Amino acid sequence: MATAGLIMAGVLAAFPFVWMVLSSFMTRGETLRRAALPSSLQWANYSVAWSEEDFGLYFVNSVIISVLVVGGTLLFSLMAAYPLARIRFPGREAIFVVILATLMVPETVTMVPNFLTVSWLHRVSPVPWLNNWPALTIPFMTSAFSVFLLRQFMRGIPGELWESARIDGAGHLRFLFQVVLPLCRAPLLTVGMLAFIGSWNALGWPLLVTNTPAWRPIAVGLQKFVTEAGPEIHLQMAGAVIATVPVLVVYALVQREFTEGISMSGMKG
Amino acid sequence: MRATLRGWWMVAVAGLAAGCGGGGDGPPPVVDLESLDPQGKEVVFWYQHQRAREQALQEMIADFNGTNPHGIRVRGEFAGSYGDIYNKMVVGLQGGSVADLVVAYQNQAREYLVADGIVDLIPYMTSPRWGLSQAAAADYVEAFLLQDRIGGRQIALPPNRSIEVLYYNIDWLRELGAPGPPATWEVFARLCRAARDKPFSGNPAGTRSLGFVLDEDASRAASMTFSRGGDFLDPAGTSYRLDTPEMAVSLQLMQELAAEGAVDLMGEAYGDQTAFNIGEALFMLRSTSGLPFVQEGVASGAGFDWGVAAPPQVGPEPVVNFYGASISVCRTTPERQLAAWLFLKWFTEPPQQARWVKASNYFPARKSTRRLLADYLEQNPRYSSAYRLLEYGKAEPSLPGYEAVRRLISSTVVRVVQGAEVESALSRLQQEAQATLQDH
Repeated sequence: MATAGLIMAGVLAAFPFVWMVLSSFMTRGETLRRAALPSSLQWANYSVAWSEEDFGLYFVNSVIISVLVVGGTLLFSLMAAYPLARIRFPGREAIFVVILATLMVPETVTMVPNFLTVSWLHRVSPVPWLNNWPALTIPFMTSAFSVFLLRQFMRGIPGELWESARIDGAGHLRFLFQVVLPLCRAPLLTVGMLAFIGSWNALGWPLLVTNTPAWRPIAVGLQKFVTEAGPEIHLQMAGAVIATVPVLVVYALVQREFTEGISMSGMKG
Repeated sequence: MRATLRGWWMVAVAGLAAGCGGGGDGPPPVVDLESLDPQGKEVVFWYQHQRAREQALQEMIADFNGTNPHGIRVRGEFAGSYGDIYNKMVVGLQGGSVADLVVAYQNQAREYLVADGIVDLIPYMTSPRWGLSQAAAADYVEAFLLQDRIGGRQIALPPNRSIEVLYYNIDWLRELGAPGPPATWEVFARLCRAARDKPFSGNPAGTRSLGFVLDEDASRAASMTFSRGGDFLDPAGTSYRLDTPEMAVSLQLMQELAAEGAVDLMGEAYGDQTAFNIGEALFMLRSTSGLPFVQEGVASGAGFDWGVAAPPQVGPEPVVNFYGASISVCRTTPERQLAAWLFLKWFTEPPQQARWVKASNYFPARKSTRRLLADYLEQNPRYSSAYRLLEYGKAEPSLPGYEAVRRLISSTVVRVVQGAEVESALSRLQQEAQATLQDH
């Protein structure tokens, strides 16, 4: 019974993905007729989707933006989580509560203040922020959830390791990078994966802070296949497959650690 | 996503209402328009057009940049959908970074006006040096212009208008023995039932056979209500009237036809278009701006002969819903505003409008454009049929907050078609719509 349920859930979960792939190989007429299968594989949809509407540029932009966001998120979340987990200092719990409280604020509500901050930085900074990588990456280089996840994991690291490191003359920074970091592989990959998905799929914020294709991500490219009069589903789905592949590849690479990381945080899906 | 966006719109709009306008504190300084020099100014234009339309617009912009005597350079930028552009404007007005020209629906432009984010175009239109000649001013389609006139101020110009028409499958009508498109709602209902009972021969898959797939969009409800002589506003144009007999009869009919299996609610984006294209639905209510898209869709779908007409009507003359976003000039610097105006003036001149019509299928902002479109009208009889309906156009409300009311109307349409009692649903809609006026 449980197996049947799982199979059913699996089929339901896979259906949109299968539909996307099949539609990406259809002619426009077939998508309109809601054909179940393409009569012949329209590989050309992929080349058209890639070459039209700056899609190739958007793809490269997304790769750069995601790499920067993931790198920044890993670094800053690690640096924030460590003292909250391992160093006793006055106000530690209060700071942690404040960080957790930000999880309750919907991301969309922070868009306006974020935009005002970024606009100000654009005016005062030697590097332009708007229409450039800083506005697309720096505001997302840490998240309360990442800090929480890493802190939960770090709290489980035995104190004896710290004592041993101290005896060997290590300080906090060395202990963090030489002992804690290797142990945090699973939660770090989880944090990285979540940051990657978030930045890869971002649409609203990039549209706010960019005006030209120069730094726009792939989600904007996908939107261009939905015109006012109607969508070009075959091209849109070809674009969606192109956009999905990197996420699937990254997930396939870190799948085990991702599951492990989530389960170790004490959270359930 | 839509719901979450709504959340920060509210926060952002609240910020606007608190006076964080684009023009700084106090009224804008009085500037002598005639002495301004727009030489070499760069102007940014935010629009929503994609693909072929965007390409055509970019070509026109390049022509303007290459030929205007002031060395003005316009930079056209795709800024997302209408909603995305609204977000950018609302947030940008608070951050002090908006475009010079922006595509906006009337209710959106009205909110920008309240926030002092756009300028009144009348001083530009009447300027002896930079404005319109008397003949040119009289050449604008008045109904379009009036749609963008708020409290004596012209908040935009209208180069993107279209009307909502009834698309019909001529071959299927013939199979049903109908001589032409339905002139009344009674005939429409009869044909919908006939289509349910006798599927189109060109739809061999025959998955379903319907008279009409109802898109719950508020513009469809407006079309049906207008065609019965109704309105969404009171005669003064200041309060909503959504519980009118015309609205009630329209929704009642849809409810009955849906219960009988002759009409279905649209279950997916553009589902009405898909159903029409593949011969599943006999009729479709849609904007004329989609004409080329339907042509392509029918050709790659069931490949039948089709036409467009005014929606069924009650009175002796049709009433059609016309709509479309306009272009506003944002408050920036006097010189940039002037440069933006000069582009807008150029863009709405007949030669440019003729080009734009061919690229976009919108209706031209100026009447004399028709002379330049003789060939196009002859080659595009469906567009030509729709063009003849322009004089019967009636617009939806442009009150601030109408976007929220549109969503309320949509959910009411869905509730009623799914069986809710019409009178109470409309009564609730009326109350909720009125409440939005207090928020704005």
